Amino acid sequence: MNFKKAFVIYKKEMLELFRDKRTLFTTIILPVILYPLLFAGFGAIMTRQADVLEKRGATVAFQDSLTFRTPETLAIRDSIYEDLTKIEHFQIIPAPPTLNLLYQEGDIDAIVTIKDSLNVNQEPVFLVTIRYDGSGEKGLMVYHKLESSLLNTSQKISAQRLQALDIDQQIIKPMEIMPLDTSTTEKKMGNILGTILPYLMILLLITGASVVAADLVAGEKERQTLETLLVSSVSRSEIVLGKYLTIVTMAMVNVIINLVSISFSIQYLLSQSGLDMQGIQMPINSFLILLLAMIPLATLFAAILLSISTFSRNMKEARTYEQPIIIIAMLMGMISFLPTVEMNNVLALVPVINVALLFKVVLIGNYQLSHLLLTIGSTLVLDVIAIWITVKLFNTESVLFRTQEEGGKIKIKNKRTFFSPFYGIVYFCLALAALYYLGGKWQAANLVNGLIQSELIIILFPVLILLRLGKYKPAEILRLKKPKAKELAIIPFMAISASMIVSIIAQVINHFFPFPQEYIEAMSRIFTQDISFWEMFIVIALLPGICEEILFRGFLMRFFEQKNFWYPIFVTAILFALFHLDPFRFLPVLLLGILLGYITRRTGSIVNSMFFHIINNTLALVITTFSEQNWMRVFIQDGENLKYWLTIPAILIFILSLTIFNKITILEEV
Amino acid sequence: MIKVQSLVKEFIQKDGTSFRAVDEVTFDASHNEIVCLLGVNGAGKTTTMRVLSTIFEPNSGKAEVEGYDVVAEADKVRENVGFLSGDTGLYQRLTPREFMTYFGRLYAVPEGMIERRIREMSEILDMDEFLDKKIEFLSSGMKQKVSIARSIIHNPPVMIFDEPTIGLDILTARNIVSFIRECRNQGKCVLFSTHIMREAERLADRIVMIHRGKVLKQGTLEAMREETKLQDLDDIFIYYINQANGELKVVANEF
Ligand SMILES: Nc1ncnc2c1ncn2[C@@H]1O[C@H](COP(=O)(O)OP(=O)(O)O)[C@@H](O)[C@H]1O
Ligand SMILES: [Mg+2]
Repeated sequence: MNFKKAFVIYKKEMLELFRDKRTLFTTIILPVILYPLLFAGFGAIMTRQADVLEKRGATVAFQDSLTFRTPETLAIRDSIYEDLTKIEHFQIIPAPPTLNLLYQEGDIDAIVTIKDSLNVNQEPVFLVTIRYDGSGEKGLMVYHKLESSLLNTSQKISAQRLQALDIDQQIIKPMEIMPLDTSTTEKKMGNILGTILPYLMILLLITGASVVAADLVAGEKERQTLETLLVSSVSRSEIVLGKYLTIVTMAMVNVIINLVSISFSIQYLLSQSGLDMQGIQMPINSFLILLLAMIPLATLFAAILLSISTFSRNMKEARTYEQPIIIIAMLMGMISFLPTVEMNNVLALVPVINVALLFKVVLIGNYQLSHLLLTIGSTLVLDVIAIWITVKLFNTESVLFRTQEEGGKIKIKNKRTFFSPFYGIVYFCLALAALYYLGGKWQAANLVNGLIQSELIIILFPVLILLRLGKYKPAEILRLKKPKAKELAIIPFMAISASMIVSIIAQVINHFFPFPQEYIEAMSRIFTQDISFWEMFIVIALLPGICEEILFRGFLMRFFEQKNFWYPIFVTAILFALFHLDPFRFLPVLLLGILLGYITRRTGSIVNSMFFHIINNTLALVITTFSEQNWMRVFIQDGENLKYWLTIPAILIFILSLTIFNKITILEEV
Repeated sequence: MIKVQSLVKEFIQKDGTSFRAVDEVTFDASHNEIVCLLGVNGAGKTTTMRVLSTIFEPNSGKAEVEGYDVVAEADKVRENVGFLSGDTGLYQRLTPREFMTYFGRLYAVPEGMIERRIREMSEILDMDEFLDKKIEFLSSGMKQKVSIARSIIHNPPVMIFDEPTIGLDILTARNIVSFIRECRNQGKCVLFSTHIMREAERLADRIVMIHRGKVLKQGTLEAMREETKLQDLDDIFIYYINQANGELKVVANEF
């Protein structure tokens, strides 16, 4: 490794990038002008809006529904009316006969109605109602003005009454409430910025990096300059290092410029709105720490995006592959919007999320060194892995020269069979839509029947009908093959141990993202139904086990089997996890899906994966049904959670049974 | 010098089958010599040259450059070879001078030396007037000159040019051809490829005919003329193809 050569590459890439007008514009000029314009413009519009609303005023109808028309009540009515007319820009009119119509048409903004009755002391008391439309800014503004005017009148009247009784007014004011906010402006600012900035910064970082990354390798492939670089006397790791540093630099430059521009704009906005600049210092120190914390993230994005760029044939392909990464990073960055999620040692290990949370605590001003170190450490580990992959890709000629594949020879396009990935995805989307709309409706009407209907009508029957229509042999396509006895013997061990591991993973996820109350209620609804264990077994374990396996491992997996052994397994598992429509269960279901796919392809029989699936679901059923029983206490804590120590025997049993499984099965011929 | 022995390069195609682009190719080239790889499009010329310049690893056989093995001593080979690939792109936003300097530095050529090489080559290749213009504004002939100069900025003993005159006007092509001769006269070992018979005729000391990945025939033009009793290289080429196909029909004067 010659760092000098890596640096030569770095310098040249930077020179080229800064000669590119587009890059220059998006990374430097745009942020410099964007935020001032955005902030100033937005501020101006907001104040103007408020102003317009103020001046526009409102028309308010005054309705007199008094029953006792004594001089006294009339006097009070008049003083209310008088005070109302004093509201600036308000027009108070006596209620016309077409009052309701006018109100509905919006010609009248509010109606103040005054009613009366006598209290025990035979004194008149009034009930004043304000009818208004609370859905808009205007309605609220009108309401607040009317309310404060009425309160004012009410106070005047009570003062008069007290005076008449010769009582000191102070007597009805036993206390006064006075808010004293002790948070510093810095902290307040930190809190506001802490929610928006991490998200914004992560977004800027990854978009900045992605533009450059796509250009640096995929772009070189597209422009056919990569070959010249590869034949020159520079090693692959030097090339990767040079380009990697370029991406990190550009991403950081992008973030820094944006950050500076944002902070200047905020200061400007604050000074404009006449706020006291004394207390409102931008938290500069925090910003510096944040920038430091951004560096590991920049390196991580750079490394991942660089490997994508290296893998892609051209820039367009690189951009396509970058999309999901950007979306995932954005979603993870959104964690800072959630008020309840706080930094801890486990989350400090999760990439992107750790930086988002770190941001928050740093801006508020209390962070722990351990979190900082864990964040940097875990990110660096991922960095090294991603860079290592990139260097590996750079040493793989089939990846570097994938562009040539298309050229030269005439390609005989394969006849598109039904079992192609495209149709697989289409079928999956249709099934998902059907489940979401139809299944949801059925289950809302009657949960148990709905579940049975969904499994049979949406999941199972269409597959069988399609296979019949296409004149396929269902048993062959779906791998409905008799399993071997030894396979069936080892599956329960795998199923039970794997289910426990996956449940514990799910528990950990639930620990960080507790279920919303409605969800728990909905779930308990199904278990409190007045049905026997065996009926439950059919609905929860048997039917899903059979029908879902036929759809996923039997049918859908066939659409993706053009490539290697693992590809269809992973794709099917992802679809399987998506099918459950629950982001928090995605990972557990994905893991199960991978295992189910593996079992199917390894044994060539779907009956095995059905068996596995049924055992898995039964286990969940048993745990919830018998969680109250004493003998279950050994395994279960707080309600229905497995005890964590079970992980260790579960992993041991799983590894052992998987090893045996691998021994007794041979790879299915594909 | 270059030594290629029973070289095989296969590509895995989309459908999983493998395809032999270079099939048991054997030839050599020494200093003070211009050897031409002659063959139609898709014959396997580029692939052979890419193996020689360490871009591709051969599946079997041996290839050496200046005595260094292309697989085991790839670093050494890269230092000793200047490779101009067929459809090279250039960095559009650099000037030719920056472009050549960049590669000079990657080859660890001392700065003063880089400047001297640029001066020398721009004189022979007539590049003075556009040396400091952005490459994106250059014509294809100018770009090709820049590419050639770049590929041998480190003054390597072995030079490999893949279709160096493809798509160029006659003046530029002549300029490049005479430059290649000049290199040979300086004692370099030059391997170039073309599918244009005239160019092979004019420039090559020896010709290696390649067809469908195999060496069809190799030797000097005179020897080939002697053997086939044909004058035109076009005819000679067809003659050998037909011979390889087992049909000894000579199709003359058809082109
Ligand atoms: N990277 C590659 N992947 C797959 N096939 C390739 C690749 N490069 C070249 N080929 C194929 O190898 C054959 C020889 O190509 P090439 O060496 O470029 O021919 P030539 O340079 O003589 O025109 C062609 O059929 C071409 O399609
Ligand atoms: Mg070629």
